[in-house]
Amino acid sequence: MRMTKLPEIHIKAVNLAKRVNVSEGSLTILHDISLTINQGETVAIVGASGSGKSTLLSLLAGLDVPSAGEVFLTGQPLHSLSEDDRAGIRAAHVGFVFQSFLLLPSLTAIENITLPAELAGDKQARQRALTLLKQVGLQDRADFYPAQLSGGEQQRVAIARAFITQPAILFADEPSANLDATTGQRIEDLLFELNQQQGTTLVLVTHNAELAARCQRQLKMQAGRFVDTEEPAHVG
Amino acid sequence: MWASIAWRLFWRELKRGELWVIAFALFLAVFSVVSLSGITQTVRVALEQRSAQFIAADRVLGSSQPFNPEIIRLAQQQTLQVAQQMQFDSMLFSAQQMQLATIKAVDTAYPLRGELVLHQSDNVLSGELGSLTPGQIWVEPRLLGLLEVSIGDDIELGSSRLQVAGVIVNEPDAPLSVFGGSPRVIMHIADVAATGIVQPGSRISYRYLFAGGNAELDRFATEVTPLMSVHERWRNRDRQTAVGGALERAERFLLLAGLLGIVLAACAAAVAASRYSQRHAQAVAIIKALGATTAQVRRIYSSHLMLVVLFSLGLGLLLGQVTLLGVESAIVLYVGDFRPEFSLRPIWLGSLTCILCALLFAARPLWQLTITPAIQVLKQPVQQLAFDRWQFITGAVAVFGLMWLFSGEWLISIGLFLVCGVFVGALLGIAALMVKAAKPVAAGQSSAGKLALANLRRRLWANSFQLITFSLALFLALLLYFVRAELIGQWQQQIPEGAPNHFLVNVSEAQRSQLADFAKAHQLQSEPFYPVVRGRLVQVNQEQMRDEATKEDRTEQRTGVGRELNLTWLSTLPTANKILSGNWFSTESRGEVSVEQELAERLGLKLDDQVQFSIGGQMVSAKISSIRQVDWNSLQPNFYMILSPDLLKDFPASYITAFYIEPDRYQLVNQLARLMPTVTVLSVEAIIKQVQDIIAQVTVALSFILLIIILASALVLVAQVQATLEQREQELAILRTLGARYAFLRNALILEFTFLGALAGLFATVLAEVLLLTLQQRLFELPFSFHYALWWMGPLSGALLVSALGWWQLRRLLQVPGAVLIRRVLQG
Repeated sequence: MRMTKLPEIHIKAVNLAKRVNVSEGSLTILHDISLTINQGETVAIVGASGSGKSTLLSLLAGLDVPSAGEVFLTGQPLHSLSEDDRAGIRAAHVGFVFQSFLLLPSLTAIENITLPAELAGDKQARQRALTLLKQVGLQDRADFYPAQLSGGEQQRVAIARAFITQPAILFADEPSANLDATTGQRIEDLLFELNQQQGTTLVLVTHNAELAARCQRQLKMQAGRFVDTEEPAHVG
Repeated sequence: MWASIAWRLFWRELKRGELWVIAFALFLAVFSVVSLSGITQTVRVALEQRSAQFIAADRVLGSSQPFNPEIIRLAQQQTLQVAQQMQFDSMLFSAQQMQLATIKAVDTAYPLRGELVLHQSDNVLSGELGSLTPGQIWVEPRLLGLLEVSIGDDIELGSSRLQVAGVIVNEPDAPLSVFGGSPRVIMHIADVAATGIVQPGSRISYRYLFAGGNAELDRFATEVTPLMSVHERWRNRDRQTAVGGALERAERFLLLAGLLGIVLAACAAAVAASRYSQRHAQAVAIIKALGATTAQVRRIYSSHLMLVVLFSLGLGLLLGQVTLLGVESAIVLYVGDFRPEFSLRPIWLGSLTCILCALLFAARPLWQLTITPAIQVLKQPVQQLAFDRWQFITGAVAVFGLMWLFSGEWLISIGLFLVCGVFVGALLGIAALMVKAAKPVAAGQSSAGKLALANLRRRLWANSFQLITFSLALFLALLLYFVRAELIGQWQQQIPEGAPNHFLVNVSEAQRSQLADFAKAHQLQSEPFYPVVRGRLVQVNQEQMRDEATKEDRTEQRTGVGRELNLTWLSTLPTANKILSGNWFSTESRGEVSVEQELAERLGLKLDDQVQFSIGGQMVSAKISSIRQVDWNSLQPNFYMILSPDLLKDFPASYITAFYIEPDRYQLVNQLARLMPTVTVLSVEAIIKQVQDIIAQVTVALSFILLIIILASALVLVAQVQATLEQREQELAILRTLGARYAFLRNALILEFTFLGALAGLFATVLAEVLLLTLQQRLFELPFSFHYALWWMGPLSGALLVSALGWWQLRRLLQVPGAVLIRRVLQG
């Protein structure tokens, strides 16, 4: 059986804006953002704290909806889909790695890893999880709870969880920010290694220039806009 | 797949202790409903079975017409046990004497409930037991003296001769009246026809006795009602028990107090569910970010609630039933032939309470949890006890629903609900004001006391809510503690130690001094002698009463009492009597009568009416000068009509008196019976014992409720403190970082809870005192008196309980090293 070929453009954003209501009125966090990210590409979104990079990530991953503009993920118009439809797209195509790991404290390492696969109805989840645990070097920690793991170990579990559904796109939000330099370095290596193996599109949010430099492309953000990038030219 | 995730999460959350407060709160609700409803029902069944013994059956149908075979056929069709009984007054003749007696003719099935004890000798305390056979007659001991006959002699009844086989020691359905009336005899129903007494028009009372299951009895009653004529009526047994009213009051009180305990437990469940939902908001956001739909999340978390409900329901029903079995076996000790009746009511009531509590108190926070947006995953979790209007509304609906479920009456439910609403509103206002007033005091935070006050103020809403629940919890516990003491005190007062347990009836003028000597010789505490003259009420305001024997048609006339009344004359008002209108006799009173209120209502009598009595053929007229309320539960001789002394003093009277005889000196009763054979000795020991048993059972039930309320209160407190745990953790981390010492933080914490507890205790005290004073006046009819002990017990117990529980909850948090706390907080 011949697999349907995924479109070359994995992520596309057109004139994205995000406004939030505050006590003084409305505050615009993102202004007129447009970008395209191709399949297999690694892209770093960099910028200082409060520049809007995490907000952009949440819009690109369909965790939130824009106030204006359009965003497409694997060709699906996220901006016009319901929360549940977006969840369906995430389940099928997206993996996440968060700054504060965000493992479920009441599930063991292996259960945390299998969770997305189980939600998607994958019967091979456990087998896959064991392989991934081995890949992240935690095969002997399978039944440990997050509280029994170090920060680095927790992030490795989170990375394994992100790859279990063999996502087309991986979003990583400051994956090494909560770790010491050495551990952070290891985590970054692991992330890129698995990314390369699986040919995943990687969108990484960071304020770490070194980490950003490992990506093929860097988009710099400042006060909710891209600066010093050729990005708008890609549109179309 | 979601089911396995749900199960795993549930099991882990349960192990982590996250769901225990909800589970325990729901369990407490089920357990208390099952046990309370079960206990009250069991006590009621025991009481019903006890009182069934007093009518010798479960139901009795009385008739003035001969037995209708159709009624008996219908009863047998319903597999009921049936016994037939006839009762009439007739003269008995011995060789020497004659005497009017009340004859009861029964078949061998009699009695269906209780025990008929017949002795083949004239000794009531010991003697060979006998049984009823045709051709024999069993008599009340005093009749042997009155007729001057011995056991084995023949006596004549109508045109029959019957042999006196022995004496009646216990006749289950003998009238409880201490006046007794004519001496009683029992004979076989088969001998009645031969006496020739049953003639058209003779005044004979026919009774059908039925026994069986409640369902069969009810079905039978429905079937038989259309067949009943004006001559047939059910004889109820409501007034047969001395404590019926007290038990009814107690039952309502028990359920109501239990209900408030359940509401407290439900509050604990709501607080715990809301904390659970806040703590799991991020987990839900993560699951959603990983691709779960809201429907999947909803299935996972609703299954959690369902499993908690099933767990709590199962455990509650099980332990409730075990408690009931314990109560039933305890009752068997009191009521030998107690037959427990299985009822589904406690089970469905408990299940419904649990589901209602879960749905209306805990479901809302969990529903909120499932709509947590995925974007929450990138935000800092917020811990707050915000006021949720919908939670408040669903909670109020649940409380009202439970009130209606328990009381079954709209009026009571609405009234109680409004009272609770006002109560909570007032507490909320006062609490908010007081916590706000703490602001100037807590301006700086240089001492532990100021920090405690500042903490109270900062969590204003949460603290007001805590203050309300703590106050409510303490209020209930205090109220119940004091009411319990007052109820028990009142009941025990009703039957004080050494209350008369033997009544002596038909004492002649000559026997009075003989009896006084007997009492003196045996050091018996004797009661005053009440004179009794029997008379019939014949006229009211010149109008003839209808039941007077006459050939004229007088259906338009007043209905009379239908029997002779026991009339007495007294110059002082007896203790169990209260004048409702008019005045009690003065020394100048002449030709007056005081009438009991219910009889006055039945006969349409009012003050200043002129009534006429026929006493031994002589007419006596009196004016009604007062209407009295009589406490029929008091074990004292009580009278419908009390005449002023001038009217009756010249009539030959018999007297009533009473003794207390210790159980080990009961042989005195026999001596007395031999000494004065014409005097009837009635033992009310059985009634006294019944009252005492019920007091014991209700006391156990009250203590049980007190325990449930204390547990529910503690649970609310635990839930409340747990709800602020994360926030406190953050604050402690900051304070530790800023250099606060352990002792300082500990003192601040203890002071905060002590203050909160004492304040709650004070509110509870004020409310409890107000309600206690009201209850004292309205329910117990006791003089107005303050409960001084309450005023120190309330605030002190509040301060101790709340600070101890708060400390117990938070001590581990205080002991965590500062660095660990900070790391924990930073990691979120």
